[in-house]
Amino acid sequence: MANAPILRVDLASPCPVYEQIVSGIRALLVSGAFEAGQQLPTVRQLAVDLGVHHNTVAEAYRVLAEEGWLDLRRGRGAVVLERQGPRPSPEARQGFARRLEELVAKAIADGVPRAGIAGRMAALAKKIESGGVR
Amino acid sequence: MIEPMIEHLGWLVILPLVASLAALALFWMLPNWSRPGIYFAVTVPPEFRETPEGRQILRRYRVQVTAHVAIGFAWPSLIVGIVWVAFGPLVSLLMARERVMPHAVKPSMVREAVLAPRAAHLPGGWLLQLGPFAILAATAIWLHLHWSEIPDRFPVHWGIDGRPNGWSVRTPAGVYGPLVFGASIIAGMAVLTYGILRHTRVQRAPGSGSVHLDFPHQVAYFLVAVEFFLAACMSAVALLPLTSNPGIALVLILTVLLLAAIFPLAHWLNKSRAPFADAHPLDLAGDGTLDEHWKMGVIYFNPEDPALFVEKRFGIGYTLNFGHASSWLILALVGVLPLVLLLALRHS
Repeated sequence: MANAPILRVDLASPCPVYEQIVSGIRALLVSGAFEAGQQLPTVRQLAVDLGVHHNTVAEAYRVLAEEGWLDLRRGRGAVVLERQGPRPSPEARQGFARRLEELVAKAIADGVPRAGIAGRMAALAKKIESGGVR
Repeated sequence: MIEPMIEHLGWLVILPLVASLAALALFWMLPNWSRPGIYFAVTVPPEFRETPEGRQILRRYRVQVTAHVAIGFAWPSLIVGIVWVAFGPLVSLLMARERVMPHAVKPSMVREAVLAPRAAHLPGGWLLQLGPFAILAATAIWLHLHWSEIPDRFPVHWGIDGRPNGWSVRTPAGVYGPLVFGASIIAGMAVLTYGILRHTRVQRAPGSGSVHLDFPHQVAYFLVAVEFFLAACMSAVALLPLTSNPGIALVLILTVLLLAAIFPLAHWLNKSRAPFADAHPLDLAGDGTLDEHWKMGVIYFNPEDPALFVEKRFGIGYTLNFGHASSWLILALVGVLPLVLLLALRHS
């Protein structure tokens, strides 16, 4: 329990909480923090711990289930699935490239050094190539 | 004739003195029993209590509390004295809260959660939970086996002079009543324990690497210990028809022992929610709730918060979130039902 992954959300952020939950759990799933078959907290428990409405967590779990990450069977809670990567559509590829460019532009605008961004992206690329990110 | 009177006068001084000293110690320590980011039920930076303003507020509060307890103890009327000792320090507490409020800060809105199912098993499992009921059941069996030895009319309450002033009769309600009443209170406490384990937010200092699960479990263990203590007390009360007057000295010794146990226990419980060494100071302000949802720092009302139980801001333990209808239902079950049962038993 002490080494269980931690989800962090900022209730004051303009980004909707359910999106933060989706992004946070997805990032953990992609990084291999969970094994297939592992259980996530129930909707009620996660909602209580984060201090948000049950529907917010239920919606986040539903999005992750639709993406193929979670199995939401009644009575079993949310269970992590062994996910086979889907073949990306041209829209998904273009969307990713656009969001990445926007993210980099925003980081530069916020004053993050270009070298720092490049270094971080190179490290991430290395991790992806070595299979550290599923 | 003179000797017993002197003896009774001695008790008349000793009992209020012990009670007053206990109240003084309790109110004296109360501001220390809270999270570092909560001071007199207000969200503050953790270092605030060590600032000159923070220390002055505490000093002023303690002077007032001492004065209230001294006045209550010295008041000629016992009833007025008790009311003064109970409510005077509460007024000081609320006044100190008012003085802290200008120093309140907005708490961090960052929330962290552990992504693993939480075990909400009752401490010691169901077997340990059944322990207090087993004590009551064993007492009931003992009374049943010795039914013929129970007098038709027996004392159940004694005055400060050691003379009985309350009586009961040998009927099922009269004999088993204390056990049924005790069982209803203990059942209510078991419901609370389960609720605390299942419906509280696990407090975790953001940025730290470990999970803060100890506090609810320690509170749960404390409640189970109280259940056993209550079962023993109610059994002792139920056995009164078969025993002699317990004596005021025994009552006093038990009270002092109980009070002596409360303070180290409170310290132990408070220590378990101390901040993690690696937590960022900015993340330590507050307790995951907002000041505006606390009425007088005591009653928590937030329908938007799914937690049914939240940590108290005054003292150690949990309080209900009265923004939920189910909290009122729990209050009725745990608080009102035993009282109704007691009245029904007395009436029968």
